[in-house]
Amino acid sequence: MPRNPTAAANESAVMRAETRRRWSLALPALTVITLCSILPLGVMVAYSFMEAGQYGNVQWGFSLEGWRAVFLDRDFFDDSYIPATAHLTILARSILLALATTALTFVFGIPTAWFIATRPPATRAYWMFLITVPFWTNLLVRTIAIQEVIRADGTLNRLLLATGLIDEPLQMMFTNGAVLVGMTYVYLPLMVLPVYAAIEKFDFRLAEAAYDLHASRLYCLRRVVLPLMWPGIVAGSILVFIPALGAYVTPRLMGGGRAMMWGNLIDLQFGQGRNWPLGAALSITLTLVVVGAMVWYARRAAKGAETNG
Amino acid sequence: MLDIRSLSKKFGSGDSAFQALKSIDITIEEGEFFTLLGPSGCGKTTLLRLIAGFEQPSGGQLVLDGKDIATTPPNHRPVNTVFQSYALFPHMTVAQNVAFGLEARGTNPAEVAPRVDEILGIVQMAHLRDRKSSQMSGGQQQRVALARALAPRPRILLLDEPLSALDLKLRKQMQFELKRLQRELGLTFIFVTHDQDEALTMSDRIAVMDGGTLQQVADPRTLYDHPANRFVAEFIGEANFLSGTVAGGKLSLIGQAPVPLPRGADASGPVTVMIRPEQVVIGAAGGDAITADGRIEALVFSGTDTHVTLRLQNGDTLSLRAPNNSHATTTFAEGEPLRVSLPIGALRLLPEDVADAA
Repeated sequence: MPRNPTAAANESAVMRAETRRRWSLALPALTVITLCSILPLGVMVAYSFMEAGQYGNVQWGFSLEGWRAVFLDRDFFDDSYIPATAHLTILARSILLALATTALTFVFGIPTAWFIATRPPATRAYWMFLITVPFWTNLLVRTIAIQEVIRADGTLNRLLLATGLIDEPLQMMFTNGAVLVGMTYVYLPLMVLPVYAAIEKFDFRLAEAAYDLHASRLYCLRRVVLPLMWPGIVAGSILVFIPALGAYVTPRLMGGGRAMMWGNLIDLQFGQGRNWPLGAALSITLTLVVVGAMVWYARRAAKGAETNG
Repeated sequence: MLDIRSLSKKFGSGDSAFQALKSIDITIEEGEFFTLLGPSGCGKTTLLRLIAGFEQPSGGQLVLDGKDIATTPPNHRPVNTVFQSYALFPHMTVAQNVAFGLEARGTNPAEVAPRVDEILGIVQMAHLRDRKSSQMSGGQQQRVALARALAPRPRILLLDEPLSALDLKLRKQMQFELKRLQRELGLTFIFVTHDQDEALTMSDRIAVMDGGTLQQVADPRTLYDHPANRFVAEFIGEANFLSGTVAGGKLSLIGQAPVPLPRGADASGPVTVMIRPEQVVIGAAGGDAITADGRIEALVFSGTDTHVTLRLQNGDTLSLRAPNNSHATTTFAEGEPLRVSLPIGALRLLPEDVADAA
């Protein structure tokens, strides 16, 4: 069919206008992503391949020293390279701490979220407010607040002494336990919020149906409630695990800097260590570990959905 | 086989307490299609939930096969429910949904699959066994919900307004299929509905409920022909209510000469008399009847017949049906006079106060 050339021209003009319109609509989002995500990440990657300046910062010039230092230490005496096992220990410690934090926020977060979601709608907002209010406060202030609770002459010890349960104050500060308590406290809302959303969306008539169909409470929990809450639990776990892995304020204040975490290690390079390329390389390493874990989880979940579906 | 004895249910306490059920007594027979019918808030759903076990009664007994199950938890009752919202498990396939009740009860895994296939065959859903419930139409979900509740072989199947979400045509079809299924399985169905047509066409017996009390328990024909009170007469079908007086065994109605009381009726003083619109005869009737004149106030064409609203000379209004068949001789127009007859055999004397009837 012969086509009218002006009509075709008009059509392509319309399409060009449409394309322009779409790009201009996407522009704010693209700007934010570029400025806040891609650009800083690019700077970090670039820094990790530069030379360290004598008084911090970086100097122009390509260097693999930063990355070398992530994996290999230079022997103090003969300048030979030995594996940087200390970094591995710190990474393992950080992962363990992040996992333990996730597990504890899970243990405390699920009943909390369940409690809130099963309140009458009018009082739910009030409970949610109580859960989120510490979250609006500065992290440092919150950490110091929890210090106040558990230090030797803190609230908890005084309470325990007063009740006669203990004779002398428990030394809780500057232990791994203290770090874990602090981290759990700080990240609890991140677990509660998505789990709460999942429970609130849960149709309790389904639990009734399961109960009607001869399911015990435990069977109903396992076959109906948990599978339907799973996306919320996964979201909460990811939201807690990722920042917990890179946390440095809480481990430092609660642990007294005794047990170094990956976050403190990075902090050190940008501060006293004056080794920005190493700090940048360590940051990228952590990002890669997290992304790797996420990809692994997503693949596994997709495979699980395939076999189940 | 299911004996409901003075069962009552009160929600809340003190001033805010709400008596949802007031001492209900019903015996439901084996293999019966029993319907609980009433307006919303009448207590029919509460009664169903008490039988299912989701609520605990405030008093009374639920005796199933000689055993009081009033406090048995739902998962230990040989009773399954088809929910109004279907409540299918959205993360499971059709087959997994149907297998749930069997698996939860610990049925031998080797017996689960054949039973699932059998029951999906019965509800004609075998071809969709691997679908997720979110990918099905309302009618299909309805069948799966039915299959899921039937799979564990309940002694009684409870159905909580299961057809209310379906469109009219599908609802008619499912009414027919449910009834057929119930007959074939010989299973006791307890069916909750607020739709009187549905109740009349499907049930063996109907319990009409209002305000937490039973108004009448009877088969559909008896309910329609001999309603126990004004509430039942009004809720099921259409009815004319006329005020009359009985004196010396004779009934005075619509300003006409006293006539003998209908057979079996016994009353004196003021009475409420009920007559169904289709029982009103146009013109003079042979036999015992009260004949009266009136003027046509409104005519509404409804296909098979025309609904006529008549204003009688004494001021009462009467609604009646004029069949639209080809040998209908009378033509009607609004404002025209019309003579009608009320056959005495079609008159029903109702107790004056509904509340006293219960």
